[in-house]
Amino acid sequence: MGAVTVEEWINLFKAVGLSDEDMKKWHRLFEDRNPEGHLSFLKWLGLPAEKIEEARSL
Amino acid sequence: MYTISQLARMFHLSRSTILYYDSIGLLKPDERTNKNYRLYQPRSVKKLEMICELRNTGLSLKSIKQIISNRKAEKDSALQERLHAINQEINTLRKQQQVIVSMLQRKDPARNMRYVSREQWVKFLRTAGLDDKGLYKLHVTFETSSPEGHQDFLESIGLSEKEIKQIRDASKEGLPPEKT
Repeated sequence: MGAVTVEEWINLFKAVGLSDEDMKKWHRLFEDRNPEGHLSFLKWLGLPAEKIEEARSL
Repeated sequence: MYTISQLARMFHLSRSTILYYDSIGLLKPDERTNKNYRLYQPRSVKKLEMICELRNTGLSLKSIKQIISNRKAEKDSALQERLHAINQEINTLRKQQQVIVSMLQRKDPARNMRYVSREQWVKFLRTAGLDDKGLYKLHVTFETSSPEGHQDFLESIGLSEKEIKQIRDASKEGLPPEKT
């Protein structure tokens, strides 16, 4: 199983030119449009519960 | 002539088993001594050998009793019936085995992003500011930095094997060419 870490994901987004602010916006959009999907993505990345809360309340 | 103890030793059976065979009429002694001990002739030894053999096929004592009192044709058909039953049991077990194997191989359901479709991913990424070129670059970068992660991600959003292969192949083509 090729688990992707959150660091890898952030590097990926940075590599394609997304800024920290873009990523925050993206989390907000994700949470707004599809909260369950956002949660399942964060779980898929293997984030601990408190980090998941953080990303969902940006 | 053989005593019950000799038969028991010969076929690794207990005396009580042979006594039981007598009580159900499966294997009767041929004679009795003056002290009323059971005695068996060689043909009974042969019969017991047959009984043991049939017992090893899993047939019940009741069926065995029927078989050895019948002609060969009937014995064969009883054996064929038993063989058929065994084959069916094997098939049932094999199916159960396959179900178990696939249950064990199934990925942890928590790792599936059931709620996010491919279309939604594309939409979200576009909203975050990625255009077609950006999306393509994302795949290329993902494939370069973590091929396994790329595969895992594409699986988790529900793409078919074929679609995943297409995307990954295209991503590989986008890798920076080797320096010449």
